[in-house]
Amino acid sequence: MDLYMRRRLINHLVIGLSMLATAFGLLWLALVLGTLLVNGVSAITPSLFAQMTPPPGSSGGLLNAIVGSLMMTAIATLIGTPTGILAGTFLAEYARASRLGEVVRFINDILLSAPSIIVGLFVYEAIVVHVGHFSAWAGSIALAIIMIPVVVRTTEDMLRLVPDTLREAAAALGAPKWKIIVMVAYRAAVQGMLTGVLLALARISGETAPLLFTALNNQFWSLNLDAPMANLPVVIFQFAMSPYADWQTLAWGGALLITAAILLLNISARLLASWSSFKQ
Amino acid sequence: MISPAARPLPSEPRPSDLVGADLGAKPPNRPVTAPPIAPVRRNPSPDGATAPTPAPAVKVEIRNVNFFYGKFHALHDISLPLYDRRVTAFIGPSGCGKSTLLRILNRIYELYPNQTATGQVLLDGTDILAPGLDVNRLRAKIGMVFQKPTPFPMSIYDNIAFGVGLYEKLPKSELDDRVESALRRAALWEEVKDKLRFSGLSLSGGQQQRLCIARAVAVEPEVLLLDEPASALDPLSTQRIEELIEELKADYCIAIVTHNMQQAARSSDYTAFLYLGELIEFDETETMFTHPKAKRTEDYITGRFG
Amino acid sequence: MPAEHIVKSYDEELQRLSKMIVEMGGLAESQLAAAIEAVQERDTELAARVIEDDAKVDQLERELDNLAIRLLALRQPMARDLREIFVALKIASDLERICDYCANVAKRSIALAQSPPVQATHALPRMAQFALLLVKDVIDAYVEHDADKALDVWNRDEELDEMYSSLFREFLTYMMEDPRNIGTCTHLLFMAKNIERIGDHATNIAENLYFLVHGTPLTRARPKGDNSSLQVVAADHPGKR
Repeated sequence: MDLYMRRRLINHLVIGLSMLATAFGLLWLALVLGTLLVNGVSAITPSLFAQMTPPPGSSGGLLNAIVGSLMMTAIATLIGTPTGILAGTFLAEYARASRLGEVVRFINDILLSAPSIIVGLFVYEAIVVHVGHFSAWAGSIALAIIMIPVVVRTTEDMLRLVPDTLREAAAALGAPKWKIIVMVAYRAAVQGMLTGVLLALARISGETAPLLFTALNNQFWSLNLDAPMANLPVVIFQFAMSPYADWQTLAWGGALLITAAILLLNISARLLASWSSFKQ
Repeated sequence: MISPAARPLPSEPRPSDLVGADLGAKPPNRPVTAPPIAPVRRNPSPDGATAPTPAPAVKVEIRNVNFFYGKFHALHDISLPLYDRRVTAFIGPSGCGKSTLLRILNRIYELYPNQTATGQVLLDGTDILAPGLDVNRLRAKIGMVFQKPTPFPMSIYDNIAFGVGLYEKLPKSELDDRVESALRRAALWEEVKDKLRFSGLSLSGGQQQRLCIARAVAVEPEVLLLDEPASALDPLSTQRIEELIEELKADYCIAIVTHNMQQAARSSDYTAFLYLGELIEFDETETMFTHPKAKRTEDYITGRFG
Repeated sequence: MPAEHIVKSYDEELQRLSKMIVEMGGLAESQLAAAIEAVQERDTELAARVIEDDAKVDQLERELDNLAIRLLALRQPMARDLREIFVALKIASDLERICDYCANVAKRSIALAQSPPVQATHALPRMAQFALLLVKDVIDAYVEHDADKALDVWNRDEELDEMYSSLFREFLTYMMEDPRNIGTCTHLLFMAKNIERIGDHATNIAENLYFLVHGTPLTRARPKGDNSSLQVVAADHPGKR
């Protein structure tokens, strides 16, 4: 057969294989989401958001877990975002080609892909053992440690995307370096940086392993940061492994909740990105 | 009909008068010292523009400047003057060092590591390459406009107010005036006066470049450096920028780098031709483009190499 | 200096311009030679041909003008190239005038041929040959872009002017000796004036060539040998009655 026909054939073949692969991936995604929905939707009732985690056998909700997760995630964000942004700024603006910069970037990349259970163990050793008990502080710190490398990476990448010509233009007006960074580079990269923060947020909101060693869990309502605090991932872990049906239902509900939250965060990040490019 | 040539004109002496007349001497009946013949004036210029232009003062003097990118010796011992209220163009083939030379003048090369300049650049007598000089203040005195238009991601008003606010604390009304005058000088006011709050990025390429020029003149510099300001623009915008340079010339010492020789010929008063990091020739533009002194210059401008 | 432009067609167009000048120069030389012969041999047919051929030169000049304008508009010539084109325009104009003068001489030679031959006629061809040499040399100088040769022509025009002055006096003498000569001598006078003007145009060409080569114009005052405009005939001159 001639060249053209052969190429068309190969083209069709590979397109077909690509579509199959996509379908394969989507299939599992669909199955996961479907399973979650099917099993979890029955648990989505107003009481889910109104009542505490119950002892086995009685009805209840996930309020303390939801609130606990929100609090710890918020504190982790408060710790992690400024640290990450400042470190990312350092890497992008001050340490582009320096040795120190290379080392920091390398370590950051390692931390980025470090297993979250390692982080949890570290915080357990460093804080929980010394303090003597589990606490929400420890949990927040563990989450922050997971968050920081992500924010550093995205901040640096977004700042690097800002063309140097813009910085030169600001410098040519006589702006000192910090003003160039804050008033020009940040403003140009703000959407990207925000997206990075949102994605990091999405990442930590579902982390279980570090919280197991640090915040543990709490059956009751507690806002005490010095004590163990309830949180969704650990609750799901605990309830799903139990033999009680109502706990299992609550676990499915929690899982659906987390998935929905992460979905929402990702969609917001996308919307933010597309809104910024639309404005340009 | 008698043809006009045959009739003697009344003022002319008849042929018979000529015989015996001594034509070699002065004509008779005229005063001994005749007044000079005044030329016939048609459409005299309204402002009597026959006043001679005053000799220009040297605003920036470049003395024995060498430049290195790491170990690479990019500029070799360059010395030339930049005159006040005149436009000096740097021309030369790619890689000859014209942009490099321009970037020395406001020390913007210092933003990058491994780039060093030696020698002296005197701005009104003060060496601006001296260590210990406040570089940021220097850059407020020597403005620069780049090849690619670079509006900040802010409103048009803020773009211009940014530079002004760096060193001056002006009340709002004065700041408004400054912004307006800068935009007028850049021939942009009429087009943007109703959309000052819009993002600078919403303008067209030519408008963005004029915004950058407005931004540069708003801080009231003494010298303006233009690095290929029109090379990213269409011909009409290019002409507007050239007209702008013509107007700005009255107030600033302007240096312009261009790879478009016709633009250099049209816009500048003095031209410096650089080749491989060396200054080959520096002269008035008119001389440079009609009979240059160096062969290499002539080869370059007539398109025989480069 | 690298002789060629990066864009070859530019070189080709400039060469065409040059060739046209050389062609016009050749025509000027041949026209002048033919006019001289027409006078010497009293050949009215040759004279008629000279008059006709003047149209060719006019046509060439128009073509050259077009080419020069095209080059100016499309090529943005600078420095030497600009001078080449500018000078070519001026030289073409001078050459066209030279050919016009040749045609004028040819026209008058027809009138001369109607009358019986006069002794005065013999002086003219000698002056014309000198002018022909000037034209030939200046065209050679153009071909070689030789400013020194051009200067030489520029200086020699003085001699031509002196020849004209002496011819002027000679013709005046002939006219005063015998009034029957007046008609012929008047024609001859005009012809001599035309030839003297040919010499002046040759010096213009020389000056333009100097400018082309050196980039600065020739500012010296040209030595002039023509004092015929100051010539006076005394009232008591003994004429032949």
